[in-house]
Amino acid sequence: MSASIEIAGVSKIYDGGVRAVDTIEIDIRQGEFFSLLGPSGCGKTTTLRIIAGFESPSDGAIRIDGADITHVPAHKRDMGMVFQNYALFPHRTVAENVAFGLRMRGIDKQAIAAKVKAALAMVELSGLEDRRPAQLSGGQQQRVALARAIVIEPRVLLCDEPLGALDKKLRQQMQFELKQLQKTLGLTLVFVTHDQEEALAMSDRIAVMNCGRVEQIGTPVEIYDQPLTRFVADFIGDTNIFRGERVTSDAGPALAAGHGLFLALPASAAGTSLLSVALRPEKISLSSGDTETAAAASGARGTIESTNFLGGAVLYHIALDSGHRVLAQQPNAGAVFVPGRTVKLDWKAADLVVLKD
Amino acid sequence: MAVARTNGLALLLLPSALLFALFFFVPIGLMAVMSLLTGNPVVAANVAFTARHYLRIVNDPYYLEVIWTTIRIGLWTTLISLLIGYPLAHWMARIRSRAGHAALLMAVLAPMLTGVVVRTFAWMALLSDKGVINQILASLGLTTKPVQLMYNETGIVVGLVHIYVPFMVLTLTGVIGRIDERLEQAAESLGASPLRSFLEVTLPLSLPGILAGSLLVFALSISAYVTPILLGGFQIMTLPILIYQQISANFNIGFAAALGMVLLLVSLLLIVAYNRVLGLVSGQHELQ
Ligand SMILES: Nc1ncnc2c1ncn2[C@@H]1O[C@H](COP(=O)(O)OP(=O)(O)OP(=O)(O)O)[C@@H](O)[C@H]1O
Ligand SMILES: [Mg+2]
Repeated sequence: MSASIEIAGVSKIYDGGVRAVDTIEIDIRQGEFFSLLGPSGCGKTTTLRIIAGFESPSDGAIRIDGADITHVPAHKRDMGMVFQNYALFPHRTVAENVAFGLRMRGIDKQAIAAKVKAALAMVELSGLEDRRPAQLSGGQQQRVALARAIVIEPRVLLCDEPLGALDKKLRQQMQFELKQLQKTLGLTLVFVTHDQEEALAMSDRIAVMNCGRVEQIGTPVEIYDQPLTRFVADFIGDTNIFRGERVTSDAGPALAAGHGLFLALPASAAGTSLLSVALRPEKISLSSGDTETAAAASGARGTIESTNFLGGAVLYHIALDSGHRVLAQQPNAGAVFVPGRTVKLDWKAADLVVLKD
Repeated sequence: MAVARTNGLALLLLPSALLFALFFFVPIGLMAVMSLLTGNPVVAANVAFTARHYLRIVNDPYYLEVIWTTIRIGLWTTLISLLIGYPLAHWMARIRSRAGHAALLMAVLAPMLTGVVVRTFAWMALLSDKGVINQILASLGLTTKPVQLMYNETGIVVGLVHIYVPFMVLTLTGVIGRIDERLEQAAESLGASPLRSFLEVTLPLSLPGILAGSLLVFALSISAYVTPILLGGFQIMTLPILIYQQISANFNIGFAAALGMVLLLVSLLLIVAYNRVLGLVSGQHELQ
């Protein structure tokens, strides 16, 4: 039966005085695919190891289904873990690896054999029972690690960048399979990754971490469309960030981004005088600028500096007349603007997201 | 091209191969020949081939007893070195602080910086009838007459363990250090207690180190000379002492060579046996 996890005010200070994790508050719901996302060294692995019980927090508590397990040793926590390097037992066969957790639980041999068989069938490795880990490809090893962790029907499955070592194609396939498996089994899964696309594609919710702190927790759509902080906006996908003073014009609040660029702010935008706002490249629409558009939309003029053809879309680097450089992405639907061309950029004021610094 | 390269490599190997032949095969070959001769061909005329040295060893229970004593001392020394060395090596391989590692390494290596004789005399000061240990025991009223700790096998084993434990520790530390800690953690996350995870994962994976370290310590202790003499006080006869006596007192080089061959044979048999065990343990695992 999968469980919920509560990370309550957890900090971890390593021996050298490194504050790897700083007062983290995360509630992971039962049956949720939850990702910890952040750049290298931000404390993702440390957080996961604290949940698993390999590291004890310097402060705070871990609760499972409401029960405090902060001081319960790892082997009594009933959590499956898939390590970044798989950590398969090299001296044991595939079947023995998968059987290990069942054996520790004292289950009888016949039941073990049946469960191992079913688990290996689930990850499509039937027939490789007697191989050693060294005789398997990276993708196969990854599946064995997965089978070994889920065959014990853990309350929680913890994965530390389990797909990191795979090539792109296999990675995408495994992403899909892991997600399917998690859904069918109703597993609570905590997934560590530094790959934002992976996190966005797979997660129910994401915690974006930076320097040991949680910057934002939300669904992929919330994280992408409403980043709370400059770090989140910057880390997830491409974005344009403008910084300036909040002014009030006849039309409502606006941001004076400097050099004569004024951005109309959404009516809801409160805040102090100095602000940062984010604008996603695909929220900008480009036009040739020959026809005057309605004054309701905000916009600017600029010159195309370079054109990156991405296949399904085209990414433009544009220098605004005010000197700001922005990215704009357009669906690949017909005309492509060539570098040197002047264009008009339009966006809706509501698409501007005000960021906390 | 490929052929030329192999030849080049073979040339590079030549000096060490020659050295190996000169200092390894030639002496052992000479010893083997000597053990089959009636006398020393350098000083005596009309020497002939004979098997009598070997027959003498096999037929006299005294010599068999000496061989068995030597092996027994070797086995005890190896076992105790392993029991002391393994935890130490595990600690050293897993310690996180650099200062701690350096301190442990020094503690292990420091005794090696003093000579064997000095260390053996130190043990004599501790173990003799009027030594530190017996005086402490007596002053505490635990014993009325001295416990014999020296001039017996116990004393020899104590001395040998002290001398050879660093070899065990260093061999094991290398092997244990190369075992990924995450394997132990994986076992624990699957429900194995730390002890179980050690027995199921760390111990089998460190087996090559256990075998290598044991072989090293065993071979060194059955060929040890100074420590068995000083701590055994000629009360205990081992093969190296016997060999030395045969050469220096009896001038019976042929017999000494035969005894030397026995010593070599014991080591070789052990190497073969160890290889078997290693192959068996890492080769097959019955399916659970
Ligand atoms: N055992 C340790 N002792 C001291 N500092 C550590 C230890 N383990 C990690 N750290 C430090 O804690 C911080 C967080 O490390 P952590 O491994 O949690 O990062 P991460 O987010 O998993 O990074 P990555 O994406 O590179 O795996 C880093 O600054 C790291 O150097
Ligand atoms: Mg990590």
